[in-house]
Amino acid sequence: MANISCSSITKAYGTHTVIEGLDLSIPDHEFVVFLGPSGCGKSTMLRMIAGLEEVTSGNVVIDGTDVTHLAPGARGVAMVFQSYALYPHMTVAENITFGVRRQGVPKPEIARRLKDVAQLLGLEPFLERRPKNLSGGQQQRVAMARAMIKTPKVFLFDEPLSNLDAKLREKLRTEIRKMHLALKTTTIFVTHDQLEAMTIADRIVLMRAGQIEQQGTPDEIFDRPATRFVADFIGSPTMNFLPASIERMGEALTAAAGPIHISLPPERFSGLKTGQQVELGLRPARMDLAPEGSANLLEGRVVLIENMGSEGQVIADVHGTEMSFVTKDFRSVRPGDRVRFAIRPEHVHVFDRASGRSLLNDGL
Amino acid sequence: MTRKHFVFWTLAPATVVLASLALVSIAGAVWFSLMNRTLRSPDYEFVGAYNYLRLLRDSRFFNALQISAIWEIVTVTGTLALAIVLAVLVHETVKSPLRRNLICFAFLAPVLLPRVAAAFIWRFLYSPSLGLLNYLAGLLGLGPIEFLADPSIALLSVAVVDIWQWGLFFTVILVKLLETLPKDPIEAAMLDNASLWQIHAYVTLPMLKAPLISLVLVKAVESLRSFDLIFVMTGGGPGKATETLDLYAYQSGINLGGRVSYASAMSILLLIVTTIAFTIIWRAGKKWAG
Repeated sequence: MANISCSSITKAYGTHTVIEGLDLSIPDHEFVVFLGPSGCGKSTMLRMIAGLEEVTSGNVVIDGTDVTHLAPGARGVAMVFQSYALYPHMTVAENITFGVRRQGVPKPEIARRLKDVAQLLGLEPFLERRPKNLSGGQQQRVAMARAMIKTPKVFLFDEPLSNLDAKLREKLRTEIRKMHLALKTTTIFVTHDQLEAMTIADRIVLMRAGQIEQQGTPDEIFDRPATRFVADFIGSPTMNFLPASIERMGEALTAAAGPIHISLPPERFSGLKTGQQVELGLRPARMDLAPEGSANLLEGRVVLIENMGSEGQVIADVHGTEMSFVTKDFRSVRPGDRVRFAIRPEHVHVFDRASGRSLLNDGL
Repeated sequence: MTRKHFVFWTLAPATVVLASLALVSIAGAVWFSLMNRTLRSPDYEFVGAYNYLRLLRDSRFFNALQISAIWEIVTVTGTLALAIVLAVLVHETVKSPLRRNLICFAFLAPVLLPRVAAAFIWRFLYSPSLGLLNYLAGLLGLGPIEFLADPSIALLSVAVVDIWQWGLFFTVILVKLLETLPKDPIEAAMLDNASLWQIHAYVTLPMLKAPLISLVLVKAVESLRSFDLIFVMTGGGPGKATETLDLYAYQSGINLGGRVSYASAMSILLLIVTTIAFTIIWRAGKKWAG
C-alpha cells in the first residue's frame, strides 16, 4: 500500500502535448477515479503511472520511490485492462499466477494465494479453463485475480467495466469496491462513466484536455462543481443551463433569464453584481413539481416524459427553452400539459458566462 | 446458377489441370515401378514388387533416406529458429516503420532469387580459393575450409543456403505477425515482471502457435523440393554425403544407370512415406494448437 505523487507531469507525442504540467497527490488507501471525456488524457495518465507510457517530463513517485524511469514490473503496481488482456493460450490458473511465478514466489505460497483469490472471486470452478471459454464477467474476474495475487502497492483499473453489460457492470463495480474495502490498497480507476465514478470513488479527479478540471469527493463534485464543464459532465439527467443577468436590489439577489426570475441566496453569491452576465445551472434532480406561488417557480408545457421506473424525467418547454426536471409524480402529467416546477435557491449554480467558472463563494 | 453449381464450375478447371498433372504422372510412376524398364533397352516386362523389394536391400537408398530426414530436420528447425530470433530482434530494436519496411524488403530478396542463382552465389562464397568466407576465415588464421568438399560439413553448408533464403523470408512474415498481436497481453506481461525474452517465449510466440505450425508445414514441404539447390552445389557429393532421395532417384533413373523403373519405385515410396509423415505431423500440430 502506498501513496502516489505526480509532479509537473507532461506528456507529448511529437509536438502534440496531451498532458501539461499536471500535479496530483493520492494518499495511501484512497480509491481515486480519473473521470473525463474521451481523449482527456486520463488513460495516458494511468499508463504513465503504470510505466507503460514514457513521461515526457515530470516525476512519478510511488511509496516514496521515484519510479519515473523504472520498468512497469518493478513499480509494484497491478493493472486491470479494459480488454482484460488475458493470455489466451494459458489456463485461468496459469494466467493468474504468471506474475508471481516471474517474481520467484515459492510454489506452495503461489498455490495458497491462488486458492485465496480464486475463492474470493468465485473462480474455483474455472481454474483449468482457457479464457475463450469464459464469459466477459468471468474474464474480468480473472484479470482482477491476476492483479490481486501480486499483492501490489497500487491497483490500476483502465476502464475495466466498459465491455460488460449494465447489470454485470453494476455487480462487478460493487465487487471492486468491496475488494478495496477489504484490502485498502491505493487504487486508481479510469472511467468515462460519471455514474460509475460517483458510486465507486473516494475522490474523483475530473480531467479535461490534459488538465485537472476539478478534484474532490463525489458530493463535492456533484453539489459544488467548480466549472460549467464539471456541472455539465456530472449528473444524469444533465444540468439545465440558462443564460441570465444578475439583478441586486438591496438584500435580494435575482437572476433574470427573459421572463424567468430565479432568486439566489445572497450569502452564497456575495460577489455578484447587477448586470453581470452569468449562466444558471439547474439540476433536474434538484427540481420537482411545485404549487403556484412557490419560490423560483418555472412554468412550461410538457414535451416529453421519460419513465425511469421509480421516477421520471419531464422535459418541458419553458418560454422557448427546453428544460428537464425529475419527479416521482411523473405519471400525473401528460405531454401537452402545463406544469409548474421549482428549485430551492441553495441548489442553483451560477457560472461566469465567459470563463465558465463557478461564482459560488469560496469555502462553500 | 445455384451456389453449388458456381462452386463446381469455378473449381473444375483447376481440378482438371491438377488431376492431369498429378494423378496421371503418379499413375505413370506406379506403372513404371512395376516394370523393369531402363533407358538402355526398349524391352521391358512386368516384375511386380521386385523393384520395391530390391530397394529394401539397397544401402544407398537407406543412406539417401537418412540424408533426406537430416535435411528436413536441419532446414526446418534452422529456418524457424533464425526467423524467430531475427523477427524478435527486428520487432524490439527497429521501431521506425520506414526502417522496418526497408529491412523486410532486404530480407525478402534472397527468396526471390532462383534456387540455381542462390546456389551459384554461395558456391563462390564457399570456394576454398576464391571465396569470401575462406578469406574471412583466413584473416582469423583458419582454413581453408572445404565447405562443400568435406563430407562432415557439406550437408550443413548447403542447408545454410536454404536457411538463408527461407529464414529471412519467414522473418518478414513473423515480423508482420508480431505487429498484428494485441498490445494488452504484452503490456500485462510487462506489468507481471516478465523480461523481454520471457514475454516472447511465454506470451507472443505461444499466441502465434497456429501460424507457426503452418510455417513449419510449409517449410517441411518446401524442403522436400531442394533438388536444384543440392544438385548445383554438390551434386549429392562428396561421395553420398548430400545425396537426398530425390537426388538418388535422379542419379539412378536418369544419370547413371537409367533404371527408370527402379527410380519410379523410389519416388512412389518417398510419396507414401512423406504422405504418412505429414499426416501425422499435421494432426499432431492441430491437436497441439488446440
